[in-house]
Amino acid sequence: MIGAFTAIVTTAIGPAAFAGVAWGILGGALPGISPSIAMALLLPFTYGMDPTIAIVLLASTYVGAEYGGSIPAILIRTPGTNAAAATVVDGYAMKEQGKAGEALGISLYSGVLGGMVGLVVLVLLTEPLSRVALAFTPAAYFALGVLGLSVIASVSGASLTKGLMAALLGLMIATVGTDPVSGVNRFTFGSPELLSGIPPILVMVGLFAVGELLAQAGEPGWQQAASGAARIRFPGSAMRKRIARPQAIGSVMGVFEGVMPGAGGTISAFLAYNEARRWSSHKKEFGHGSPEGIAAPEAANNTVACTALVPLLSLGIPGSNSSAILLGGFLIHGLIPGPTLFVNHPDIVNGLYTGLLAANLSLLVLGFVFMIPCLWLVNRPKPYLMAFVYAFVLSGVYAIEGSLFHVGVAIGFGPVGYAMRYFTVPFLPMVLGVVLGFMVESNYRRALVLASGDHMTFLQDSISAGLLGLAFVFVAGSAVRHGVDAIRRRRLARAAV
Amino acid sequence: MTSWKTYLCALALATCATACDRSNESAAVVRLVTHSSPGGGSDVFLREMAPHLSRIMGRTFVVDNLQGGSGARAIAALVGAEPDGRMFYATTPTFVYTSLLSRPAARYTDLDPLVNLFFDPEVLYTASDSGFESLSDVIDHARSGGGAWGAANPASLERQVMEQLKLKAGVAAAVITFEGGGAMLINVLNHTLDMGVGELQELRSQLDAGTLRLLAVVGDDRLPQYPDVQTVKEQGIDLAVRKFRGLAGPRGLPADVIAAWETAIPILLDDPEYRKIYIANGLQPGFMPHAEYVEFMDTFGRDTEAFLRDTGVIE
Repeated sequence: MIGAFTAIVTTAIGPAAFAGVAWGILGGALPGISPSIAMALLLPFTYGMDPTIAIVLLASTYVGAEYGGSIPAILIRTPGTNAAAATVVDGYAMKEQGKAGEALGISLYSGVLGGMVGLVVLVLLTEPLSRVALAFTPAAYFALGVLGLSVIASVSGASLTKGLMAALLGLMIATVGTDPVSGVNRFTFGSPELLSGIPPILVMVGLFAVGELLAQAGEPGWQQAASGAARIRFPGSAMRKRIARPQAIGSVMGVFEGVMPGAGGTISAFLAYNEARRWSSHKKEFGHGSPEGIAAPEAANNTVACTALVPLLSLGIPGSNSSAILLGGFLIHGLIPGPTLFVNHPDIVNGLYTGLLAANLSLLVLGFVFMIPCLWLVNRPKPYLMAFVYAFVLSGVYAIEGSLFHVGVAIGFGPVGYAMRYFTVPFLPMVLGVVLGFMVESNYRRALVLASGDHMTFLQDSISAGLLGLAFVFVAGSAVRHGVDAIRRRRLARAAV
Repeated sequence: MTSWKTYLCALALATCATACDRSNESAAVVRLVTHSSPGGGSDVFLREMAPHLSRIMGRTFVVDNLQGGSGARAIAALVGAEPDGRMFYATTPTFVYTSLLSRPAARYTDLDPLVNLFFDPEVLYTASDSGFESLSDVIDHARSGGGAWGAANPASLERQVMEQLKLKAGVAAAVITFEGGGAMLINVLNHTLDMGVGELQELRSQLDAGTLRLLAVVGDDRLPQYPDVQTVKEQGIDLAVRKFRGLAGPRGLPADVIAAWETAIPILLDDPEYRKIYIANGLQPGFMPHAEYVEFMDTFGRDTEAFLRDTGVIE
């Protein structure tokens, strides 16, 4: 540990981590620029760098971007990254209650804590956790996707029916693109832009940001500035005690989801949100500005920023788009991640660990610094703020691939978001459908091809059976809760009459 | 003249000078366009090649990542460019597949293949502890009624390899496709799949660690890095594919531009410094001059189209 701190102070690792986190926060905060795009934009500049510094710069960008995504999620109800979608609900609700500074403080504190847990796990448990990644078959991945979808009941608000309708719409959107088994084009209408499907971030930007702009423009008091608190507040001791459990839940989810290639931060954030609510003694606050509803997903997706490196470092397999970019960073410096990296280049691995430590420490400082202008900005009169937000999110969408088609898709989902808001249909089930639809479908079909069409394969695979059982318990529990709530509401209505 | 007017004139002159300088500079700059994102296969190939090519050809090369539409956007940019030797596209089988799968306005046939540089050798592999010692073991297992083989993408050269291998070996193994080589590799390592097909580069770490075993090379020649591994042809099945890496330009490239590249590429491939890099990346030199490359692309396009029709991917 002392060696790590010495390296941070005496080598270029510290400045590289600082710069990477700063760039990552900026990229993550710009809706559309995912962590992987923020890293890809930086990659060409790393070609001439020392390999350790280049890898630290890229990995720190990932750490910064995972946190940065929560800033617009809390302040303008638009997740900057897929994984920040779960933070929107309670983060924005707190902002509406004038507690934006407190929400950002909880997000930062939980993110740094999650990142540190992820780093410890990465350093100590990379080898045993890589075996977990290897145990996952297509049937198990299908079950993991179903477990993620089981959260729908928890994020559906008052009406489970509306939540299921939204989820179904999301699953339908996820079918656009190349068929995962046959390779046939589905609903692409001859457009090459749709061959890879509709990126979930475009749906989110459309639903949340463009939809919000349409809704805000029609509201009274349009000209006024928001009257939120402009003071940043780190959680006090009572709050730290309250959010300790959701943070622990988020970190555990982040560890296990991170090590599974393809699972990523989004599932872990939603599962953490779901479990934090289940184990909370303030269940009623969830969805209405619960600090625990921010702490759990933020701890989860920042833990993933470190644990997602487990399959890359131990097996040479990139588990996410971001680690694929990092793999590119390794390759251009003649380094091959995988079992031999620890033997052939221990200096690089130790440098990366040190860099991640520096990145998490930098996050604490930079996260605080970035909050000041962000809070100032959201308290400007709405016409200015909305014009800025529009330019901000659409330029972010354009920057993904420099595609006007993407901008059109994001704008196209704006009226959909407006209509869903009007009919009080929740967004998050739709987001879950879009994010998990392809994973569920492709692995379901793969598993069936492997088992010659025998559905028992999902029960014969022990991991799959366990995860499906868990999903069943979640769904049944939520259905019972929704049923009891509905009966209670009806009784109250009758009593009122 | 007042001082602000002096500054204004100076600024205007400086702007003119910069613009003139830029126009001269742009004449020497050649854009190498790829659909690949930074860090992707073609991006790394171009960025590693650019400084060495610059030394040989005396031009400045810049790499331009035009992502989107699985290559369609990059092809469209090339089709709209002047054929003056200042813009080229890094060709891989993807640009043929995209053109055939989605029929965009600008297709691979609208470009002029310039020269080919490399082949990315495709190899068949299995887990070291799978119990399969050779390709014939895997095929015998498939013949006895089992068999699950993996390919990275559903509409790709890798799937084409596996489908053709099935056909030529006369077995009915299930070909399972994934969204990339990483997911497939996990399923080979955990024995869900008997074998997979992929590029040498993505397997190197596992091969070095001894967790994977190479079964065969799906090309015309053995690999210099693994001289003991036979080709599929040597093992009695008439199958070989060539995953190419070359360059294409807008239609109507001038003869002097083509001649300059035909002269430069063999020198580049013999350059000892660059040779070290591409050998380390598992690339096989495969220079094809313009005329041969045009013919090769024509055949590759026809074969791919036939495969996609036969498998029902396109009508």
